[in-house]
Amino acid sequence: MANRFNLPNLGVGLGLRTVHYSQILEAEPAVDWFEIISDNYMETAGRPLYYLDAIAERYPIVMHGVALSIGSSDPLDRGYLANLRALRDRTRARWVSDHLCWTGVLGKNTHDLLPMPYTEEALAHVVARVKEVQDVLGAPLALENPSTYAEFAASPMREWEFLARMAEQADCAILLDVNNVYVSARNHGFDPKVYLDAIPFDRVVQLHVAGHTDHGTHIIDSHIGPVVDDVWKLLGEAHRRARGAPVLLEWDAEIPSFEETHAEALRAKDFIGDGT
Amino acid sequence: MTAESGRSTAEPIALRERASATPLRPERPVRHPAETRVADDRSVRPTSLAAQQEWFARAVMTPESEAAPVGASQAASILTAGPKLDPLGRLEIYRHAYHARLIECLLDDYPAVAATLGEADFDELCRKYIATYPSTGSNLNGFGAHMEALCRAEAAEPAVIASRELGAFVADLAALEWAIVEVIHAASADPLTMTGLATIPAEKWADARLVATPAFRLLRFAYPVNAYFQAFREDREPEVPPPQRSAVVVYRSGPTIWRMDLGEAAFDLLHALTSGRTLAASLDEANGALSGVDEREAAARVTAWFRDWVASGLFSSVEFA
Repeated sequence: MANRFNLPNLGVGLGLRTVHYSQILEAEPAVDWFEIISDNYMETAGRPLYYLDAIAERYPIVMHGVALSIGSSDPLDRGYLANLRALRDRTRARWVSDHLCWTGVLGKNTHDLLPMPYTEEALAHVVARVKEVQDVLGAPLALENPSTYAEFAASPMREWEFLARMAEQADCAILLDVNNVYVSARNHGFDPKVYLDAIPFDRVVQLHVAGHTDHGTHIIDSHIGPVVDDVWKLLGEAHRRARGAPVLLEWDAEIPSFEETHAEALRAKDFIGDGT
Repeated sequence: MTAESGRSTAEPIALRERASATPLRPERPVRHPAETRVADDRSVRPTSLAAQQEWFARAVMTPESEAAPVGASQAASILTAGPKLDPLGRLEIYRHAYHARLIECLLDDYPAVAATLGEADFDELCRKYIATYPSTGSNLNGFGAHMEALCRAEAAEPAVIASRELGAFVADLAALEWAIVEVIHAASADPLTMTGLATIPAEKWADARLVATPAFRLLRFAYPVNAYFQAFREDREPEVPPPQRSAVVVYRSGPTIWRMDLGEAAFDLLHALTSGRTLAASLDEANGALSGVDEREAAARVTAWFRDWVASGLFSSVEFA
C-alpha cells in the first residue's frame, strides 16, 4: 500500500456500464474490480440495484460520483450524503470518490462538472465541505481533478495548487485522472508534468484513464474510444510517482463489447508493469 | 393468457449511463433566430463564489436559441482565453453540453416519442422542456417526469408539435414510456402467490384488499399506444393511429419489464383491485363491465385474469378491512 490511507491497490478495473451487465453476470470475466457511477444507483429501488447487488457479490466495488457538487455555494445535501453512505455500505465499496467541481447552484442542477474559481474563498469552502462529507462517510473521500474548458480570471492559483492544498487541508484522498490532466493541459496551455509535480502522490489512491475527442480548438473529455499514447505515458509516470495505484478505464459512449473494453483497460499494464 | 388480457412483451431496455461528463453528440445543431442581440455589460464582475457560480450557471442554462449566453466583453472580464478559444467560446462549450446532455437524457426516456416527432421537432420540444422544467434532482432518473404534461399543453395549444391530434397522441405515448422508466426504478417486492392466497379463510375473502407490487403501473389511453410502441420496438415504422381507447399494465419481474394489454372489463377489475377496493367490491365492478356476458363465461374470464395477474406477480400482499 503506497498511499497514506492504506487503501488497497486493486489492480486494473473497469467502469461498470449497463450494456455489459449480462456479459459480466453470465461469464464472470476475470476483472480485478469495477467502479460504479454512484448516482446511477441512488434514488432508485429497482433494476439498477438488482444488477449491482449481483455484481457486488462477485467483484470489489469502488464508488465514483458526479453529483456531490462539493464546490457549490448551495448547502451540502445531507440526504444525498446519507444515500451515499447507505450505498457504500450496501456494496461494501472500498472507497468513495467524486470530482473537484460544482454541478449547480440555487437548487438547479446542470449535471455537468463545472469549473471552480481557484480562490482562497473557494478553497476554504471546499475544505470545510470535504471534512463534513468525510465525517458522514467515516472514511476519506477521494476527489478527482476534472477536465475543464474554462478558467475564471479571478483565480490567483492554478488547479494543481488548489487540488494539493485542498487535499492537505481537508486530509482527503486524490483520484488522479491523467486524461483530465492531458485534456485540461491542452485546453489551457500548460505542461502536464507541471501538474504532476504539484500532486502529493501519497494521497493518490486511484488513477483514471479514458479516451477524449479532439475538436481542433479544444479537447472534450468524451470517454469515447481508445486511450491515446500520450495519456498512457502520463499514466505510467503517475503510477510510478504514486508507487503503485489502482487504474481504471472509463468508456462511456459508443461502448464496445465487454472484451474490447476490458482489453483496452489491460493495455495499462504495458505502461505500469504488472500493476503493483 | 386470455385473449382479452392480451400479450406480455419482454422489454429489454438498457438505460444508458447518464453520468458521463459530456453528451454523446456534442455537434447537435442549434436553431438560431435570424436576429438576436445580447447585452454586453462588462461592468458585471462577480467576486464571491456564490456570485461567480450564479453568473456561470445562468450563462450555461441560457437557451441556445439565444445567440450568446452573455456578451463577449463580459465573458472576457470574468473568464480567461485559452490557446485557441476566446472566453465566450469556452463558455459556449458548457452551454452546449448542458442542453445536449439533457436532450440525450430525454431521448433515452422517450425513444418512441422522438421517432414519432422526428429529430428536429423532438429536439425543439426538449429545449422547451429544459427551459420549463430545469433539473433540480441530484441525478437524471426523474428528470423526464413532465413530458406527458408538456405534450398535453402542446395538444391544447400547439407551438412545437404540429397539431392538437399529434400532441394528444404523443402525450399518451409519453405516459407509456414514462411508466416504463418508473417501473425500472420502483422497488421489488415478493409476489403474492396462489399458494399464499389459498391460506386465506373463505369467510375473509370478501373483505380482502390486494396490494399491487410497487413496480406496477396501470394506464388507460385514448390511443392504442402499446400496439404502436410494440411496432416501434420492432422497427416497423408505424403510422400514428386514430383514437381508440386502450389500457395497459406495465410491471417489472426481476430485471425484466413487461407490458400487458387489457380489455375494458379487465382494466376495470384490475383498477378496482389495485386502488384499495375489497375483492367483493371489485368483483361487483367487473360484473358491471361484463353485464352482457353469460354469467358462467364472465366468471371464467375473471378467474383466468386473476390467475394470470397473480402468476405475473402483480400483487405483493393482502390486507383486510
